[in-house]
Amino acid sequence: MPQRIIKWPAGVIKWIDQRFPLTSFVKHELTGYPTPRNLSYWWNFGFLAGFVLVLQVATGIFLAMHYKADIALSFDSIQHIMRDVNYGWLLRYMHSTGASAFFLVIYIHMARTLYYGSYRAPRELLWWTGQGLLLLLMATAFMGYLLPWGQMSFWGATVITNLFRATPFVGDQVVIWLRGDYTVGDATLTRFFALHYLMPFLIIGAVVVHLVALHSVKSSNPSGINLADKDNIPFHPYFTAKDFYGLGVFLIVYSVFVFFMPDSLIEPANNIPANPMQTPNHIVPEWYFLPFYAILRSVPNMVGGVVAMGLSVMVFAFMPYLDRSRIPGGAHFRPMYRVLFYVFLADMAVLGYVGYIPPTETSILAGQIATLIYFTLFLQLPFVSKAEERWLIKRGLPPELEALIASEAHEKTKRGKR
Amino acid sequence: MKRLLTILALCGIASLLHASEMELEKVTVGTDVQTVGRGAEAVMNDCHSCHSMKYIRYRDLVNFGMDRQKVDGWRGDLSLDAPLLAQMPESDAAQAYGKAPPDLSLMTKAREGGVRYVYSYLLGYYLTPEGMPGNHYFPETKMPDVLGISGVTEGAQRTELQGKARDIVSFLAWSADPHEQERHRLGYYVIAYLLVLTVLLYLVKNQVWSGLK
Ligand code: HEC
Ligand code: HEM
Repeated sequence: MPQRIIKWPAGVIKWIDQRFPLTSFVKHELTGYPTPRNLSYWWNFGFLAGFVLVLQVATGIFLAMHYKADIALSFDSIQHIMRDVNYGWLLRYMHSTGASAFFLVIYIHMARTLYYGSYRAPRELLWWTGQGLLLLLMATAFMGYLLPWGQMSFWGATVITNLFRATPFVGDQVVIWLRGDYTVGDATLTRFFALHYLMPFLIIGAVVVHLVALHSVKSSNPSGINLADKDNIPFHPYFTAKDFYGLGVFLIVYSVFVFFMPDSLIEPANNIPANPMQTPNHIVPEWYFLPFYAILRSVPNMVGGVVAMGLSVMVFAFMPYLDRSRIPGGAHFRPMYRVLFYVFLADMAVLGYVGYIPPTETSILAGQIATLIYFTLFLQLPFVSKAEERWLIKRGLPPELEALIASEAHEKTKRGKR
Repeated sequence: MKRLLTILALCGIASLLHASEMELEKVTVGTDVQTVGRGAEAVMNDCHSCHSMKYIRYRDLVNFGMDRQKVDGWRGDLSLDAPLLAQMPESDAAQAYGKAPPDLSLMTKAREGGVRYVYSYLLGYYLTPEGMPGNHYFPETKMPDVLGISGVTEGAQRTELQGKARDIVSFLAWSADPHEQERHRLGYYVIAYLLVLTVLLYLVKNQVWSGLK
């Protein structure tokens, strides 16, 4: 009897491997991918971001089966999902909570990168693809927020599309082009729905690019120096185990929101159907846009405000050039940078709060000061980081770090000789 | 430390800003069929003439466990699948009161303060020294004092109206979120499951990492 029967699964895999690099790909990029053993739990958030992305796509597709993108029907169709569709309330609350979870995870992921200086060479491209992902995520969330067609949906979209009036020469035309009409209306809703469906798939593509970049430069680590081979361990089983434990913790927090306080993330005004004739007393964006919204409102002139807001999001892209220090290990071994990092977080919190409350004289002033601090933090960085580097080198690096650099160098030469 | 100070400073600002607003009355809604059923009855008698509850059908009331006879009485010749529309056409009501009475089916989720706001608003009517009606929580409201709280001076009668208002908001809270009970029940199971799973995953992770030299 000739060997015609293909044994499952080994035979099948062998059959595929002769035609497609399946095993070597899995081994190289997934299970065997060398990962620094000293990664802390702050390194769990990239995986969590990927998980939330899948969650959003999965719940989103099922919501789209029952949702109607028509200004006369969309508000009612959401209520239909919440009340009549089997577990429709679960789908919708998972999706609305998932958007917040996505931003939370991404902001922590970015804060990790800022703290440890992982945006520096050779990870600039990785950081920039991340910046692109952030913009895509913001656009997706903004468009998704219009879909329930509540008061905040309508007025938020009106305010934000209106900002494009700041475009030189063709501002008015650009606004009409974006909305598909003179005001936010049915044309806007249908196109936002189409784009809200499309963008997550662009995000998936961008995540692939992000990961290709990651796998070519490898993960950074809390020490900030490239570790010798012996300190890199295969991704599986070590980091799969760690990531799944982190996922469990994440899901507990997420479920508390989904099952017990889902409405804390939905503005009450968004449970009132959109009414173009009646402006809500106070238009607030979702919490994840608040700091940038505060910056927008802090500049008295509209064009200035739009430019400041755009810069406040895009300024992260300049980090590889703004931070001129070569001291490894990010904020951990850099006292000045560490202080600046915490000032930055505090400043974000102040901006977020200012963006949330109705503007008063004091809050506007607070917002302006916080905006000034925000940009100053970035603009002074080239000088402070250089000065800090000189000071650290003159004073001598912390003994811990010196020892680590020496031992890792020793490991590497030992390897090299062999 | 710096962060702590900022948070403290922010809390200080926040409390100053909110001090000027009228404190909402506290109320805990009932979720049992009796309370919600009494609330439904009060709404059908006192609010239904002006307000619709278009996301609720008569059948939903029956399915929730309310008395079939009563529901049949409310709906008259309407189908069980008919939504609870207002008795007065919206345009007439808008004419009469200067403003269309809003749909109530999502009301407790559509106002800052939720259930507590609606409860306070219903009981917030008073008579000015000139004998004009006013409302503490929504001074310019066009809705008349439907519960008649503003004329009440007796303690016992006041308590009775508070009970009625509580029934009403219990019903409104149910209609705004009919799956809340189910959601909480499922939530306990999901979170209990996740807690066990996470502990196991933690142990697995430790087990895996302990093999590392
Ligand atoms: C006589 C007609 C009428 C009746 C009866 C009536 N309402 Fe109203 N209601 C109105 C009108 C008109 C408004 C709009 C008020 C405004 O916005 O100024 C209103 C508004 C409301 C609001 C929204 C207030 C806000 O913050 O915008 C609530 C809640 C409410 N009614 C609850 C009730 C309840 C509960 C009952 C039954 C106990 C009831 N109403 C009975 C006419 C009525
Ligand atoms: C959809 C959104 C995103 C996904 C799914 C994602 C996914 C990942 C994953 C899986 C990693 C592996 C390392 C880790 O787990 O930390 C990673 C690393 C990284 N990400 Fe993201 N990311 C996203 C958005 C962003 C954003 C918005 C930025 C910053 C602008 C960013 C910057 C980085 C950088 C610099 C690294 C390398 C960090 C290091 O290894 O030290 N990412 N990302």
